[in-house]
Amino acid sequence: MHDSTLKLTLRYLVSILIVGIFVFPIAWWGLTSVKPISAVFDKDRIVVFDFEPTLENYRVTVLGYSKRGSKEDGKTLMGTSGNNSYDGRSSIVSSVIVAVGSTLITTIFALLASYGLSRMRFWGSQGYLNWILSQRFLPPVAIIVPLVFIFHDMGLRDTHAGLIIAHTLINIPIAVLLLKSFMDDIPIDIDQAAMIDGATRFQCFWMVILPMVKGGLAATAVLCFVFSWTEFLLSLFLTSSIRTIPVKITTYVTSTGSEWGYISALGTSAILPSFIFILLVQRHLVRGLTMGAIKD
Amino acid sequence: MRDPDSRAGNKLIRLPRWLTSEHPFPWLFPASAMLIVFGLYPVLYSLWLSMFKRNPATRIETFRPSWNWSKVFADDRVIDAVSVTLTYTFVALTIQLVLGLGIALLLDSDRKGFGLLRSLMILPLVVPPAVTGMMFLLMYDGSFGVISHMLYGLGLLSPSTPILAGGTSALWGVIIADVWQWTPFMVLIMLAGLRALPKDPFEAAAIDGATDMQAFFRLTLPMMSKIIALAVLIRGIDLFRIYDYIKVMTDSGPVTATDTLSAYAGTLYFKNADFPYASTVALFTLILVVIIANLFIKIFKVRF
Repeated sequence: MHDSTLKLTLRYLVSILIVGIFVFPIAWWGLTSVKPISAVFDKDRIVVFDFEPTLENYRVTVLGYSKRGSKEDGKTLMGTSGNNSYDGRSSIVSSVIVAVGSTLITTIFALLASYGLSRMRFWGSQGYLNWILSQRFLPPVAIIVPLVFIFHDMGLRDTHAGLIIAHTLINIPIAVLLLKSFMDDIPIDIDQAAMIDGATRFQCFWMVILPMVKGGLAATAVLCFVFSWTEFLLSLFLTSSIRTIPVKITTYVTSTGSEWGYISALGTSAILPSFIFILLVQRHLVRGLTMGAIKD
Repeated sequence: MRDPDSRAGNKLIRLPRWLTSEHPFPWLFPASAMLIVFGLYPVLYSLWLSMFKRNPATRIETFRPSWNWSKVFADDRVIDAVSVTLTYTFVALTIQLVLGLGIALLLDSDRKGFGLLRSLMILPLVVPPAVTGMMFLLMYDGSFGVISHMLYGLGLLSPSTPILAGGTSALWGVIIADVWQWTPFMVLIMLAGLRALPKDPFEAAAIDGATDMQAFFRLTLPMMSKIIALAVLIRGIDLFRIYDYIKVMTDSGPVTATDTLSAYAGTLYFKNADFPYASTVALFTLILVVIIANLFIKIFKVRF
């Protein structure tokens, strides 16, 4: 508007530079994933573009082919365990099961709770909300030790079900507060009109309110999925043979060295689905990240 | 016409009022049960565990309610961890807030291309923190890391002391990874705040001849104060319980230079298997979070 051309050009340049700095690590990571080993581990210089791109790292981690024979004929170049330890397929499956499962349970439980909190006045509702909020602030380390014991006693240790429960636990507070904020946007007159027409509470929730919060529900589900997909601490402590992607990746660092090619290939594959999901619900992202406190 | 049979059928089973959909109880039950069994119970269990004294040699635990709690306050590593955690939280939060606000102001434009830049800015948020840690580990590597080589080129670093090997530089190394990942969070929230600002005061200020600087400090900042306080609270709490980056990048090292409270509790649990003391340190972290967060909420009147 009032901006002069010089000022505008400068603004574009600075913006592109800054966003570029933030995108750089991911771009570098993606680049590393298609580099041959010799280009990654070049000690004399940093190899940027002058290498033969290869999909070998994706073949091993995502498709599960065994590692190709290295120069030392069959002996593994790095890593202490066998050739198949870099197969990331089972961890991708685990991550999907846990993320989808916990997202489903979280959204169902949170939908019910948020409807009750948004539509009904009852004694202690503010206290209840504060309690839910305080759960969000609970440091995972404060519950991890007893959780391991409880899970062990209940046979949930190292199972998909156990991890689904753990991720549901950390996501429920966010989902409840977020869905409540979406429901609060719908005037309560709509419920009353539906109930005057003879709908029960549940019909009112299921047939009237639920279709109206579809967008908010999608945003909530995406956030729960991403939080579960990226969660590290609980997955690390509660499982040993089932490995979600973030935990699996850290096992590629061995005492003899780190397999950066494989690490970056699996890492890049892990980033893509969440980024696509997030872009779909970008409009509600701020409300989601602030648990409904900021509406946009 | 209504079917009389179904109405009669409804009356056959009379549920108590608190079990009907008119009452909040059935709506809140599933979520509450989940939070009580897997959220509240473990905290109480932790409290119970923290009252036992563990003999490291015999591994026998005896009931001594105050043993671990007096140990926490006399443990130098806890005091160190508190100071590392506070430094980490304060430094990272300040950088993220200033950068977030600045970048939001820069990207808050309807001109062509800024929408794409805003979308790209979200990218770091979807990277699993453990992967972020690995990413920076690769870039910091002393012999083939791209950031290390840049710093060598600028003469800021010598190959004999890698970034994560020095005490202060290791903490900075972790903070930079955190800043990279979470500044976009601040940018998003600040952008939402900027978008919601009313236009009139700015037009009036422009007519009165206020400079951009004056408008920013006299109008933008005061009107954004609520949103800033909220963002600081949410981010501050997450920073205070930092674990992932530390575990992946430095594992509390070198020595204990990056040992935060969460990381120390994790070490006690994982390496020493001292469950009672690990629970005590974890609960101590929880208590600090609750006190600091509530003070902040009271002072800055944050509302959810």
